[in-house]
Amino acid sequence: MVAHEDRTITVAGARIRYLVGGSGPPLLALHSVEGSLGWLRLYDELARDFTVFAPIHPGFAGSDRPEWLESALDLARFYLWIVQELGLDRATLLGYFFGGWLAAEMAVMAPPLVDRLILIDSAGIKPGAGAIADIFLHGSEGVRDLAFCDRKQVADYDLLFGRKPSAEEREALQINREAAIRYCWKPYMHDPALPHLLPRLRATPTLIVWGREDRIAPLECAEMFRQVIPGAQLSVIERAGHYPFLEQPAAVSAALQAFLEGR
Amino acid sequence: MFIMRFTERPYVAYTEEDVRGSFRSSVRLTFSNKYFDPAIGADLYNEYLDEYEAAEDAGFDGLMLNEHHNTPTCLGAAMNLEAAILARITKKPKIVLLGNPLPIFDNPLRLAEELAEIDMISRGRLVSGFVRGTGVESWATNTNPVHNRERFEEAHDLIIKTWTTPGPFRWEGKHYHFRVVNPFERPLQQPHPPIWIPGVGSPETLEWSARHHYPYIYLETDPQVTVQMTELYGKAAAEVGYRPGPQNFGYLWRIHVQDTDEKAYEVGKGFLVGNAGVGRVPMPGDFMAPPGYNSREGSKRILEQYKHALKPDALYGGVDAAGWDAVVESNRVVVGSPRTVIRKIREGLEILRPGILGIWTNDGTIAHKDTMRCLELMKQEVLPALREIGDELELPGPFEVAP
Repeated sequence: MVAHEDRTITVAGARIRYLVGGSGPPLLALHSVEGSLGWLRLYDELARDFTVFAPIHPGFAGSDRPEWLESALDLARFYLWIVQELGLDRATLLGYFFGGWLAAEMAVMAPPLVDRLILIDSAGIKPGAGAIADIFLHGSEGVRDLAFCDRKQVADYDLLFGRKPSAEEREALQINREAAIRYCWKPYMHDPALPHLLPRLRATPTLIVWGREDRIAPLECAEMFRQVIPGAQLSVIERAGHYPFLEQPAAVSAALQAFLEGR
Repeated sequence: MFIMRFTERPYVAYTEEDVRGSFRSSVRLTFSNKYFDPAIGADLYNEYLDEYEAAEDAGFDGLMLNEHHNTPTCLGAAMNLEAAILARITKKPKIVLLGNPLPIFDNPLRLAEELAEIDMISRGRLVSGFVRGTGVESWATNTNPVHNRERFEEAHDLIIKTWTTPGPFRWEGKHYHFRVVNPFERPLQQPHPPIWIPGVGSPETLEWSARHHYPYIYLETDPQVTVQMTELYGKAAAEVGYRPGPQNFGYLWRIHVQDTDEKAYEVGKGFLVGNAGVGRVPMPGDFMAPPGYNSREGSKRILEQYKHALKPDALYGGVDAAGWDAVVESNRVVVGSPRTVIRKIREGLEILRPGILGIWTNDGTIAHKDTMRCLELMKQEVLPALREIGDELELPGPFEVAP
């Protein structure tokens, strides 16, 4: 595992925790609705080429929420401020599901900030034919069942999801679910304006990574992102569900490497 | 003592298997409305209104209604409509709405108008209770549960201002925004109809009610915990400079009377299907209380309050005949002949000392004819006895002593 540090930065009075490690140009990695999964293996790979910043979103367990912050759009706007306070003039943005939505919003708000954009099974666009599964209505157990193509493929499954949580972890789960509900309740997991703004990213190299078997964010969304972001590449990961970087880490790294090397 | 009659107005023409087939096996929220037969519904609504008319005849001081959504356990999805009918067809009793779930309304001014109309049609008999609703109400109306309490308080403040401040005025809050607040129809009761708050003891709501001098109606809560919660209310009341009495508290209790103990014991079993639904299939916890619906601090305080309380399985699902015996034994549900029922209620009143007694006469599979007999016996024997007991124990209601 690449050495990384656990730091805190205060922005607008809110204490924001983040992990940072690696070397090279900055990459901001944005987690999804379940909150921080810690320093992922994915970040180890990226840390060879980048300085990876993995913050905990304001309002999720570990970071404060300023009381005025109520929506995904508020969060994206606030992140632009956080990035500024971190001293980053330009960064690659990577996000999965909810984090992907935030990354896409930040990119359309401030295209010059974004070196490259990497969206993994991202929320943000409402599919036409299908629907993004209602993870709130399914409850956490139900979501666990929907999330994977085959959970046996996940090396860290027990570490990430399988253990019986301690009292502190149970409270964190509760805080995280509450934060996700606050930000993503209505409209559910999308911003109706986003697909109309994404064509603005004509100068932003974009990679869309998607698990073919994702039963939470349907593959149709990947195709919609590809269509509206000029020049975006789509890499569909076989035998993977909602977390392709957990189920098929080698295939995801190959896709990332090819994109980053400009192949 | 103010005595009111209540039923949840259930629909029971479905099976446990039907419930188990619903998304996450839930009787509320996701249990398909394909199992609802409007022809049966038409009979039920009319029977339930007949029962409330009979309750007036029986001498109840109040007719209590409630509201839930997406559930066969309570047909009062549009409670204010039932209230409007009762406002016209009854003459004397208060119409006690416990209550309108404020957070789920995007337009509280509409609510202010409906309630004002009910108050005028009834010639000033409305008691306007407000609730946060269960989590299911939030799901069913797509109201963000994390804003539940904020919306409850803001909608309340807006409605009260609408009733008490000459319009037009402008309202720009966090959740509600109106350029011209000026509903022309205002309630008959001045400054506004009484507000009562029912609940199961969320500490923040108890304290909020105490600060507003609003009577708090315990919904069949554990007796020992109820006494503790009354102390909590008393502390909050003391902070704003008053000492609450029985007039500040109500207790809702399932009480069914028949000619004999044996008959009441058998008929009363129908309660078990009330509000848990046919089959008593346990509900998903996050349907009733989605994340964020209760504050984390509030949840901890509720758990702390309830930690010594008995958890009567019968009230929350999974009961069998043996469970019914335990429930009857514990008096959490009172069934019996008039004599038995009067004795048991008296024991409860001595401990709980409410100025408002809600009698939940029937629910679940209790048949209409049995309910009508129950109301007759209430009239002939139970209510007269309870009035004497209320006087003897000095339990004034909120219309005798201002809360």
